[in-house]
Amino acid sequence: MSRLVLKFESAALKEVPLGTRPVTIGRAPDNDIQIDNLSVSNYHARVYLEAGSLVVEDLNSLNGSFLNDIRVERAMIKDGDSILIGKHEIQVDQQHDAALPLDNLRKAPVPRVNETMVLDTHQRRMLLDAAVAAGERSQLSPERLRVPTLIVMRGRTDEKEYRIAGKLTVIGSSKMATVRLRGWLTPDVAAQINKHEDGYYLGRGDRIPKINGVGINGLTKLKDGDVIDVGRVRLNFLFRD
Amino acid sequence: MRPILHIEAGARSELGRVRKNNEDYYLIDSALQLYVLSDGMGGEAHGEVASQLAVQTVLTHCKQAENSRATPIFGDSSPDVSERTNRLASAIHLANRKVFETAATNAAQKGMGTTIVAAWIDAQRLSLAHVGDSRAYLLRAGSMDQLTADHSLVAEKVRVGILTPQEADASEMQSVLTRAVGTNSTVDVDTDEQALLLGDFVLLCSDGLTRMVTDPEIASILLTSSSAQESADRLVDLANENGGVDNISVIVLRVAEKSESVFERLKIWKRYSA
Repeated sequence: MSRLVLKFESAALKEVPLGTRPVTIGRAPDNDIQIDNLSVSNYHARVYLEAGSLVVEDLNSLNGSFLNDIRVERAMIKDGDSILIGKHEIQVDQQHDAALPLDNLRKAPVPRVNETMVLDTHQRRMLLDAAVAAGERSQLSPERLRVPTLIVMRGRTDEKEYRIAGKLTVIGSSKMATVRLRGWLTPDVAAQINKHEDGYYLGRGDRIPKINGVGINGLTKLKDGDVIDVGRVRLNFLFRD
Repeated sequence: MRPILHIEAGARSELGRVRKNNEDYYLIDSALQLYVLSDGMGGEAHGEVASQLAVQTVLTHCKQAENSRATPIFGDSSPDVSERTNRLASAIHLANRKVFETAATNAAQKGMGTTIVAAWIDAQRLSLAHVGDSRAYLLRAGSMDQLTADHSLVAEKVRVGILTPQEADASEMQSVLTRAVGTNSTVDVDTDEQALLLGDFVLLCSDGLTRMVTDPEIASILLTSSSAQESADRLVDLANENGGVDNISVIVLRVAEKSESVFERLKIWKRYSA
């Protein structure tokens, strides 16, 4: 399947798959590829399939559309072609590799940009749009309604049930422990649970905890229903609604 | 008997082999157990101003908060982390405001900014806050984990799936940041917390280290050095040997047992009194 890749200063911002519907490009928000730049007309150009070939058509834009540096009104485009609209480049990719081909990818040593730059808010927004287009959950997505909980099945703890809230949950006798263990020889940090972007991970403390009877080897992701053993204490990890 | 944990710190910051001045900066407050490192930017050595101002602001704010409960909190607080971690984030919000305002009043300094990564340790809890692409790593049981997510364009693309890590390493755009301290009136600060264990190493560093030295090389140096300072020195030396393309700064923290450090101190005392 083919796709169009929107680029700005060789940084890829967004990808749009080319299906049977034409792809519109312009400044207005209802375009498939929206370029928020004054040099781009509201409805600047479109790309569509005609009799098996890809065609780019300029929609009477003010500043024109350029195919490989030639101003065009309507032209056939093929894999690897570059359409310049304003300062943005739209590349045609008909091979559909797993990752975007970075142009000029080199065998020679890479020259590095010496100066550090910070993207302005507009560029950051474009990047977020690309992330949303790629199906990634944005930071604005609503909180998960399922609450991770630890239920004490066996052992001496201060409560019978604990809601896991927060990036760090300590299981131990320390003052900062959420699951406060009792017992003379209990370590401050017997085990810990870290919240990552993609879930909750159980890690060791001074003890190596077990998940479903098996000792963990490094940070291990917890699944709904897992049984955690920390010394003599047994906890059931689950998501509650 | 329960071991008492002690944090042993070592640090070093150097120009490297290519740059004309060092815009990295770091500060360590052993009493507070607060460790802060920054990598400044903005031509004409204004990066130095930004990095120093940011780090000093963080230190001052945290110190003040320890002494006075009435110290105001800047920026948003997160319910996901402790009060102390939120306080560290507040310090970075304040630093952002200060650098931003300083840049605004001086036309020559317009656009100056800095990355920042800060670690604050309270008993066994490590509070972490950062903006930019300076990093914090945890080395535990021989395995290195990057604790911070880089706020750089290539890293964000890798997270979203547009780039592979290999392409990111080869990219020309590695210095493009998506967040920095001082370049906007407000900034989002990432925070994290970890429970520290005996034998852990925490490393704070600017990208001048990680561009030149691989993770396994870092781990090896940390595990084979006899002190945190020796680790810091060896890491910077290796980065220089491998090219030293940028300023290089590191803070190495070793979680040791208190009795061990007393012994170390006795050894040093004996050496100097002979």
